[in-house]
Amino acid sequence: MSETLMSETVLTARGLRKTFTLHTIDGRQVTSLRDVDLDLRAGEHVALAGPSGAGKSSLLRCLYRTYLPDAGSVLLRTGDVELTGLSDRAMARLRGREFGYVAQFLTAPPRTGPLQVVAATARRRGLDTDAATDAAVDALRRLNLDEALWDVDCCVLSGGERQRVNLAAGTVQPPRLLLLDEPVSALDPANREAALDLVDSLAAYGVAVLAVFHDAAAMHRLASRVLVMRDGQIIHQGTPAEVLEVAA
Amino acid sequence: MTVTATLASVHAGAPGLLDEGAKREIRRAVLTAICVPGYQVPFGSREMPVARGWGSGGLQITLALVGADDTVKVIDQGDDDGVNATNLRRLVSASTGCAETADTRDASIVQTRHRVPEDWLGGDQTLVLQVPVPEPLRGVQKSVRECGRMHAENDYAMIWVSLYEDLVRNGLITQSTGYPVFVGGRYVMATTPIPRWDVPRLHQAEHLSLFGAGREKKIYAVPPHTDVEPLTFDDVPFEVEYAPGSSCARCGRDDAFLVEAGPLGGYACSDTEWCARVRDGDADVAAHREWSPLALLPDPSRRVGVTTSEAPAPVTERERVASEQEWALKVDGIGKVHGLGGAAAVAGTGPEYRTAISPATGAVVAAWDVSFDVAPGEALGLIGESGSGKSTVLGCVTGDVTATEGRVYLSGVDGGRTDILTLSGTERRRLRVDQLAVVHQDPSAGLDLGVSAGGNIAERLTAAGWRGYHAMRRKAAELLDRVEVPLSRMDDPVATFSGGMRQRVQIAKALATEPPVLLLDEPTTGLDASVAAGVLDLLRGLLAERDVAAVVVSHDFAVIETLTDRSCVMQLGRMVEQGLTDQLVHDPHHPYTQRLVAAARR
Repeated sequence: MSETLMSETVLTARGLRKTFTLHTIDGRQVTSLRDVDLDLRAGEHVALAGPSGAGKSSLLRCLYRTYLPDAGSVLLRTGDVELTGLSDRAMARLRGREFGYVAQFLTAPPRTGPLQVVAATARRRGLDTDAATDAAVDALRRLNLDEALWDVDCCVLSGGERQRVNLAAGTVQPPRLLLLDEPVSALDPANREAALDLVDSLAAYGVAVLAVFHDAAAMHRLASRVLVMRDGQIIHQGTPAEVLEVAA
Repeated sequence: MTVTATLASVHAGAPGLLDEGAKREIRRAVLTAICVPGYQVPFGSREMPVARGWGSGGLQITLALVGADDTVKVIDQGDDDGVNATNLRRLVSASTGCAETADTRDASIVQTRHRVPEDWLGGDQTLVLQVPVPEPLRGVQKSVRECGRMHAENDYAMIWVSLYEDLVRNGLITQSTGYPVFVGGRYVMATTPIPRWDVPRLHQAEHLSLFGAGREKKIYAVPPHTDVEPLTFDDVPFEVEYAPGSSCARCGRDDAFLVEAGPLGGYACSDTEWCARVRDGDADVAAHREWSPLALLPDPSRRVGVTTSEAPAPVTERERVASEQEWALKVDGIGKVHGLGGAAAVAGTGPEYRTAISPATGAVVAAWDVSFDVAPGEALGLIGESGSGKSTVLGCVTGDVTATEGRVYLSGVDGGRTDILTLSGTERRRLRVDQLAVVHQDPSAGLDLGVSAGGNIAERLTAAGWRGYHAMRRKAAELLDRVEVPLSRMDDPVATFSGGMRQRVQIAKALATEPPVLLLDEPTTGLDASVAAGVLDLLRGLLAERDVAAVVVSHDFAVIETLTDRSCVMQLGRMVEQGLTDQLVHDPHHPYTQRLVAAARR
């Protein structure tokens, strides 16, 4: 991995703000992000830390545009695309090619099996049908998902199994940018190790990873940088050792 | 004295049964019919002293044409001596004073029901046929008006389907009398009342054939030297009626049209006058053999599924990708006002006024200022509660609803430069063949339930110009297999299918011509949960594997989430919000969208 590729900035976010207006409850306003700035470099692994409700997931979703930010900019450096103002159609295409988003919960279409879900993602990232299936098989094997479950409806899988399917889809044919939202929360120790190994190995492909982990061990193990959030702002950042010491 | 003779004597010496005005009216219709071969010309049919259905149409033509120098021959079922033939002949000759004959060679006018005489008809002879059912589309379309439209637009898909269905059910074409033919390459004409055996006699004939239907008040014609081509699939040859090994029990010929000879069994010539002359040695049997349709006798070896015909060229010019814009369908400012006032009635309606009813005129503003576009490979959702205008917008795109305002463009039509709402009804219906397919909520809106599943797909294919029976069978089987309809049900009428299966057939039909734009109107509403889930999965798979631009209309967020990438939310005829579908679900901005999402998230 060359030094230039490692240090190349993949994504820049400036002044991100997000406030929800709940029209069903008399227009109540809930603010979840206040002026968040962020830079992600290729091959870098950045962890988001902070208490529940600090805005960690909101930040991931604003970058993925599941939430539409009220203000600020998200610039994808490859091709210099500004995401908050991008047309819906262009964003949908960009997501398929460039982004991996692994949520806490699997949001697979109903009545599809793990292999199908993962292969479909690989296809969107540019593989042809056969190559996509091969890649999906690899990814599911790496995460030790029982082969008997590969064509079973995802909705009947256990929480840990779903999480692995989700992770396999996020990492198959690695995208340029991977957003992880507590991807290993439901995994037993052995599978958790396999999953963390997989995420760790992505740096070698130059993937920029932005992750929310709720356990310090995972952060220690993977993160090159930790951002601590509180009340929708980044209040502190540094290496895992520095930051977690401050927090403790 | 017979009644006929009494009537005739009353009119003797006078103008005959028809006065000069009536004759002129009929002659005018005949001339028009000759000018437009195969086209049914309406005329003022008179009461005749025969019951309608007994040949009053043919009789009127004969009476209008016949002069004192003419010689008239009348046959019924090929027989000069039948009661009907005898009386009609007597009526014509007695009321006009013309000569009558049984010998085809001497006749200048031959009026007939059911047959063309076996003997050659020359350029100085006119064949007048008594027609029971002049409309070739009657069997497939009940509405007279719709039949007229189909003729005008050269839209004969349904009659091809009837031939397809005949082949499916019987393995060969069984339709005998009234076999449909293309006349002069333009109009489909019913060759009632003659059998298939006689149809080739009309093609490039020396004589003039006139068809008169008194009850339906129609006259049509095949002028001399006109092409008359039976409708046949490229790989299923046209065949005439024939009983293997049969020959006439009286004259021994096997090259004339034979009918069963009665209780003793065997066959006999249907044309009795010809048969008698053959026996007398007064017939040119060698020449007759030349024009007998012996080359068209049934031959199973020609029917084997050898087919070279494949998918034809698209009906409408397709310009894809090359055009500068990326969308396949663009809807620009569509609006529909039901009632008075048009665009002026719109003020004071919409979500901010909480009503779709115009305070000024009381008109209902079903949709207003709705714009979106869809690209190939993309699915766009249109969501909103019942009455929000979703289906109105879709109707404006398909042409089922006349838009009050707005423009609709298809990249496949003139590269997206022409507003398709400005096209004529004919042109817009052509678009439905292979540019723009619709899957309706109600399968009966998109399918003919009396026709088999394969036949419904064949309808779309024949409309798109397919003429290979086996190629269509293959394509239909392929499509039905894709939508998981068992092939064993392919030849069953759709009326015998369950709701979910019907919807699958409708989807297969919509995709048959691989249209670049697919509109889905509540495709799973009305199906029970498990069936709806199956159809939804099918649609998801089909959209993922095709480069089709799809618009999905639904009130159900689950359907929209499963099928689409982007969505528009409609309320009271307006588009209140649009965005990525997951963004609308997780971060809805408009109060209405938030309510919808909250309702769906129970």
